[in-house]
Amino acid sequence: MSSKKILIIDDEPDVNTYLEAVLKSNGYDTYSISEVENAMDKVKEIHPKLICLDIMMPKETGISFYSKLRKDKKFSKIPVIIISGVVESEKFNIHSFVSDKTIPAPEYYMEKPINVNKFIKKVKQLTN
Amino acid sequence: MKNLEAYKKHAGNEKIHSRILNELYQQIPDNVAVIDRNFNIVDANNNFEDHFGKWQNKKCYAVYKKLDEPCDNCPTKDVFNKGTPVICDAIGVDKIGKKTHYIAHSFPIKSKNGKEIEYAMELTRTVTETDRWQQEYHILFDRVPCFITVIGEDFRIVRANEAFRNNFGDMVGHHCFEVYKRRKTKCRNCPAEKTFKDGKVHHSQKTGIGKKGQNINYAVSTSALMRGNNSVAHVIEISKDITALKQLEHKVIESERLGAVGQTVAGLAHSIKNILMGLEGGKYIVSLGLAKDDKAMINQGWEMLERNFEKTTSLVKDFLSFSKGRLPELKMVNPGDLVNEIIDLYKDIAAQSGINLKSEIDDKIKSAPLDSAGIHTCLTNLVSNAIDACLMGEHKGNEVIIRVFEERGQLIFEVKDNGSGLDNEIKKKIFTTFFTTKGGGGTGLGLLTTRKIVQEHGGKIMVDSQKGKGSKFRIIFPRKRLMTLYKETKE
Repeated sequence: MSSKKILIIDDEPDVNTYLEAVLKSNGYDTYSISEVENAMDKVKEIHPKLICLDIMMPKETGISFYSKLRKDKKFSKIPVIIISGVVESEKFNIHSFVSDKTIPAPEYYMEKPINVNKFIKKVKQLTN
Repeated sequence: MKNLEAYKKHAGNEKIHSRILNELYQQIPDNVAVIDRNFNIVDANNNFEDHFGKWQNKKCYAVYKKLDEPCDNCPTKDVFNKGTPVICDAIGVDKIGKKTHYIAHSFPIKSKNGKEIEYAMELTRTVTETDRWQQEYHILFDRVPCFITVIGEDFRIVRANEAFRNNFGDMVGHHCFEVYKRRKTKCRNCPAEKTFKDGKVHHSQKTGIGKKGQNINYAVSTSALMRGNNSVAHVIEISKDITALKQLEHKVIESERLGAVGQTVAGLAHSIKNILMGLEGGKYIVSLGLAKDDKAMINQGWEMLERNFEKTTSLVKDFLSFSKGRLPELKMVNPGDLVNEIIDLYKDIAAQSGINLKSEIDDKIKSAPLDSAGIHTCLTNLVSNAIDACLMGEHKGNEVIIRVFEERGQLIFEVKDNGSGLDNEIKKKIFTTFFTTKGGGGTGLGLLTTRKIVQEHGGKIMVDSQKGKGSKFRIIFPRKRLMTLYKETKE
């Protein structure tokens, strides 16, 4: 399988370590950062194929980064999996967090703790 | 008819004609001056003198412009040279020294033999007021921070101001709905249409599309420009750009929604899910390490497991301590002793991390009724935060100082560090449930518990912090309130 870059953004270092381990053992190139405020720079630097994103982070929320990403002409099409403990999977609706209705829903939402098999299946689907 | 006949007869009479001319010369609402070839004013009407001042034995340039030599573009000179009338726009100085803007019509007056030009007659009309109004109107129309368009009965834009052109493009002649909203037909609930019908002012809030394709939210008012017969000729649309306001409103709603998550049971669930994710992660990495026989990986996974078990313990402890709803058990204690206890508890940890932990206890401090266990928890939380802040900071020579002193009848505990400090955004959130800056290291309950204990004592907690320079937390207990509370609990 050709290696593909995935960016993980979570303020919990253990979550980053976990997701990196899962993705690396499935042949992906991973990059993780804990400070969401630097995430846009990282996206510009590495041009990831996929982004795994947390919501509740101290300085800036994942939602605010997500809105910025979707408004960015160059990177708006990067698929995003939101991985968070904020709400249950079936209740997640991006527009209960973002009033701007032009912002599309993320490609996928996963509730913490994740189901690894489901996660990998979705990652493969979104990066192919 | 009889009168006209009589007049014609009289007008033929040169004396009457000259009387009429003289009257006209004086009554005409212009300033009239007669100037000779050498720029001398030889005659002028009363209006002229009223406006420009005394003219007798003066040069025209000295009177019109208060100059010592002829003007660069002299219309009088042109009249003498070309023999044809000249109209020019000029700025002069009136008799009180004020700038005056006027239009001058100069024409030649020939000598009796009709061969040469003897004089130039100059009629000047001041335009200062009208001109100023016009300028004011143009500036107001163009520069006012609103979009203004004048719309005709066919809904085409007749005029548009600068702000409108900058945001929507130069679209005069196009239909308003095409320009504001990129529509092919009239908008529903069009305020301009209502004004055309009833001549009244209408208001509405709309979202349009700017020339770069951007959304523009605007609040619009439509007013009628009436014809003489009381029908509406044009509608003026004045719109205020409220895009920034709308965005701010959205942001507030968004942050409030997320803020609410932090303050409810959902916040606790969120913390637990994060810990579970860490435990799952640890388990996964240990299994992976075992499968690959990779000791380093097994160790990494094991540390994750330990860390997240530890977090479970802290969360449960903090949560229990937070949920205890009770009155503080007040006993007379020496505040200095409480500080010394904390120093004993943390001196080793601080020393290992290279942090100088010290106390400053006011010698004269008196005993106070305090819940020792509660204050112990508060100081523990503040000191452990201060140590973490030092570890997160970038400079060396870190120190944490615990002070206790009296100020204006208040007992004050202060924990000061020169660690990483907090920026304004974080300062607003630190007393919010489950808020943590420590990533995986905190439960987000420490400061909340501290605030609760302090409030139960009738006190308050304050923070003074600067990003990169350090923080100072103060717990302030008014002595009087402590005593009142003490008496109440004893009863």
